[in-house]
Amino acid sequence: MPLFGKSQKSPADVVRALKESVNALERGGEKKAEKAQEDVSKNLVLIKNMLYGTSDAEPQTDIIVAQLAQELYNSNLLLLLIQNLSKIDFEGKKDVAQVFNNILRRQIGTRSPTVEYICTKPEILFQLMAGYETQEIALNCGTMLRECARYEALAKIMLNSEDFYNFFTYVEVSTFDIASDAFSTFKELLTRHKILCAEFLETNYEKVFSHYQRLLNSENYVTRRQSLKLLGELLLDRHNFTVMTRYISNPDNLKLMMNMLKERSRNIQFEAFHVFKVFVANPNKPKPILDILLRNQEKLVEFLMKFHTDRAEDEQFNDEKAYLIRQIQELRPVPGH
Amino acid sequence: MCNNTSRSYDNSENVEDDFENEREVNNRIFSVESDEELPPVPSELWINDNGIEDDVNICNFFHRVDSDQIIYQTKKRKLKIIGKYVMGDLLGEGSYGKVKEMLDIDTLCRRAVKILKQKKLRRIPNGEQNVQREIKLLKLLKEDKHKNVCNLVDILYNEQKQKMYLVMEYCVGSLQNLLDSTPAKRFPFYQAHGYFTQLIDGLEYLHGMRIVHKDIKPGNLLLTLGGDLKISDLGVAETIDLFAEDDTCHNGQGSPAFQPPEIANGLESFPGYKVDIWSAGVTLYNVTTGIYPFEGNNIYRLFENIGTGKFTIPAEIEEPLKDLLLGMLRIDPQNRFSIQDIKKHAWFLQRPPRLGEEVPIPPLRGDELHSMTVLPYLIEHYYLPYLIEHYYDCHSEAGSDIQFITERDLNEKRKNDKQQRNGNTQTPNTKRRWKKPISCITVKRIPGCKQS
Repeated sequence: MPLFGKSQKSPADVVRALKESVNALERGGEKKAEKAQEDVSKNLVLIKNMLYGTSDAEPQTDIIVAQLAQELYNSNLLLLLIQNLSKIDFEGKKDVAQVFNNILRRQIGTRSPTVEYICTKPEILFQLMAGYETQEIALNCGTMLRECARYEALAKIMLNSEDFYNFFTYVEVSTFDIASDAFSTFKELLTRHKILCAEFLETNYEKVFSHYQRLLNSENYVTRRQSLKLLGELLLDRHNFTVMTRYISNPDNLKLMMNMLKERSRNIQFEAFHVFKVFVANPNKPKPILDILLRNQEKLVEFLMKFHTDRAEDEQFNDEKAYLIRQIQELRPVPGH
Repeated sequence: MCNNTSRSYDNSENVEDDFENEREVNNRIFSVESDEELPPVPSELWINDNGIEDDVNICNFFHRVDSDQIIYQTKKRKLKIIGKYVMGDLLGEGSYGKVKEMLDIDTLCRRAVKILKQKKLRRIPNGEQNVQREIKLLKLLKEDKHKNVCNLVDILYNEQKQKMYLVMEYCVGSLQNLLDSTPAKRFPFYQAHGYFTQLIDGLEYLHGMRIVHKDIKPGNLLLTLGGDLKISDLGVAETIDLFAEDDTCHNGQGSPAFQPPEIANGLESFPGYKVDIWSAGVTLYNVTTGIYPFEGNNIYRLFENIGTGKFTIPAEIEEPLKDLLLGMLRIDPQNRFSIQDIKKHAWFLQRPPRLGEEVPIPPLRGDELHSMTVLPYLIEHYYLPYLIEHYYDCHSEAGSDIQFITERDLNEKRKNDKQQRNGNTQTPNTKRRWKKPISCITVKRIPGCKQS
C-alpha cells in the first residue's frame, strides 16, 4: 500500500468505473462525451499498469490479475471496448490493444482462459474483423486479430465465419497501411495452423479460390503480387498437398498463370513461374492441362528460353527452367487421341 | 549485389588487392598470404611465440640476453577479406571444415562461415554429395525464411584454392555446447521447454517444405545470442518429391543414438517425418534427463537396444512430460505422435515455472559476451601501423612489415588484457603503448561509407 497518493483500487472497482465511462461514451452528448473519454483513458491506464507495471511499480500479483480477468469476462467489457474503440482517444486505443493482448496470453497450466472465453463470445472476433472497415481503428484491431490468430481455436472460428471473406476486400482497400496490415492477418490465418488451414482450404475449396481469383486479377499491383506469392507458398506447402493437386488440374488456373508469366512486372512473372512449374512438373497431368501445354508447346519453349536470362547466378532457377523446357519439349499427346 | 546467391572468384587475393586500392589503405602490415592454416589465435596471444624460431639472430648465438631484451615478432592479424566479408576468428570445427566468424561489409551483420575444402570433402564418405545436397536445400529455404532454421546468406567459391564458403546466420553455439558446460548435462524444465517449442516450430516448417532433416540432435540445434533456436546441418536431409503420395524415405545416415527403431532394424523404407519426431523425442529426453534413452557399447548393441524400443524414464520426469516422451518414442511410426499431436500436448501448451538456474551460453575462449572477433583485425589493420609509428618514432622501418616488441611490452599487454577481461573494460591505462589520442574521424584510412 503506498504511503502517499491514492490507495490502490480493486480490480472490480476499476472495471466497474471503466464500464460506466464506456457506457457514457456510447450514449454520447457533447460535454458528457468529453468527460467520458477522459475517464475511459484514465481507467484504461490503471488496468494497463496492473498488467504491465510501471517504471516504479511491478505488475500486480497473479491473484489480482486473475480477479481482473474474471471481472473483464463477467462485465463483457472486452466486447464493449472494441465496439466503442473509434470513440476512445489515440492513446486509449493503444491501451485497449495492449490490455486485450495481455489478457489473451494469460495461461493457467495448459488452459488459456481468455481464449475459452472468446470462444463463447465470438462476436469479439467479428467485431475486430469489422474494424478493418474503420480507418482510425483498423491497425489497432489488426494487432489484436493477429494475437487471436495464434490460437487455433480462435483462428478456426474466424476462418469458418462468413466474415472471413471480407478479407478479400480489406486487402485491396486504397489505404496502403491498412491493406497490408489486413494482408498479414489474412496470411497468418491461412498459414499459421497447418492442419486447420489445409482442412479449411479443402472443404471450402470452391469458395476460397473463386475469391482468390479476384485478388490475382486485381487492378492493384501490390495485391496481385502479394497474393500470387502467397498462392505459391500455399500450393508448395506439403500440408496442402490435396489442395495443390486439385488446383493444378484446373485448366483455367493454368491459363491464368500463363498470362501472368507475360505480365509487365518482372516480379510477377517470376512469382508466376513458381506456380506454373507445378503444372508442368505434375507427372499425372489431366487431359485438359496436357492439351493446353501441347497447343502452346513451341511457343512455351521459345518463351522460356528467353525468360529471365539475366538470372544467370540463380542456379536453382536455371535448373528448374531447364527442367521445364525439357518437360515441355518431351510432351506427347496421350496415345489413343 | 545483396541478392546474389553465389559469386565466383578465381583468386581471392585479387579481390583483396582491389579492395585495398579502392580505399587507399596502407598495407605495411597487411600481407596477402592466407592465414587459414594457422591455429586459431586466442585473443591474448597476439605475440607469435613461434616467431623465435624464425628469428635467426636470437637462436644462433649463445651469449646471454636479458629477458626484457628478447625481441619477439608481433603476430600479424592479417586482415582477410573475401567478397564483401571480413574474416574473424575460429568459432568451431566440424568434420567438414572450419567455421569462422565474419562481418558483412555492406550491412555490418555478423555472420558465420563454413569453409569447405574439396580435398577434405573427398576423403569423407558421401562428403561431396552431402554438401551438394545441403547447398541445394539451403538455397530452397533461402526463398522464405523461418526464424528457427539456420539460414544460408551467401555462397562464395574460390576455384583456385578449391574452397567453398557457406555464409550463414551467426550463432553462438549448439545445445550440446550448453549441455557440456554443466555437470548434470541437462536443462531445467522451463529452459528445455523453450527450446523444444522452437524445435517443433522449425520442424513443422521444414516438413511443410517437404524436407526430412534426419539428424535432429542437440549438436545440430544452434542458438543465437538472443536465445533463438536454429535447426542447422541439412547434410543428410532428404526432400520428399512434390508429387509423392506420402513421405516414404529409404536411407538414414544420422547420428546412431538418435535413430528410430525402423532405421535401427534396417527397414528398406519408412515414413520420413516420423524419423524427425523420434529424434526430437530423444533430444527432449536427453536435455531433460542428461542421459540417453538407448545406449550401447558399440553401434550394434545400440541399434539392438533401439530396435526393441524398450526404455525407461527416470522417476524425476513427471506427467505430462512423461506422456509426451512416451508418445514421441513409440516404436511403431504410425502410432508415434505427429507434430500436430505434440502441439496439442499438455506439456507443450503449458508454461513451466522458472525453477532452477538457467544454463547460460558458454563463453568463447574466455569471452562471455561473445564480442565480435572481427574487430581486432580491423583495428590492427587500420590503426596499429599509425599508432606504432607515433610511439616508437620508427620512421626507419617504413616499408618493412615486421614490428618488434619486448618482453616488457608483452607483460604489460597481458596485464591490460587481463584487466579488461575482468570487467573494467573502460579503464584508461596510462601505460598504454599508444600515447597520442587518435581521432577516429581524421584518420584517412577509414573507408568511406559505401552504398550497397
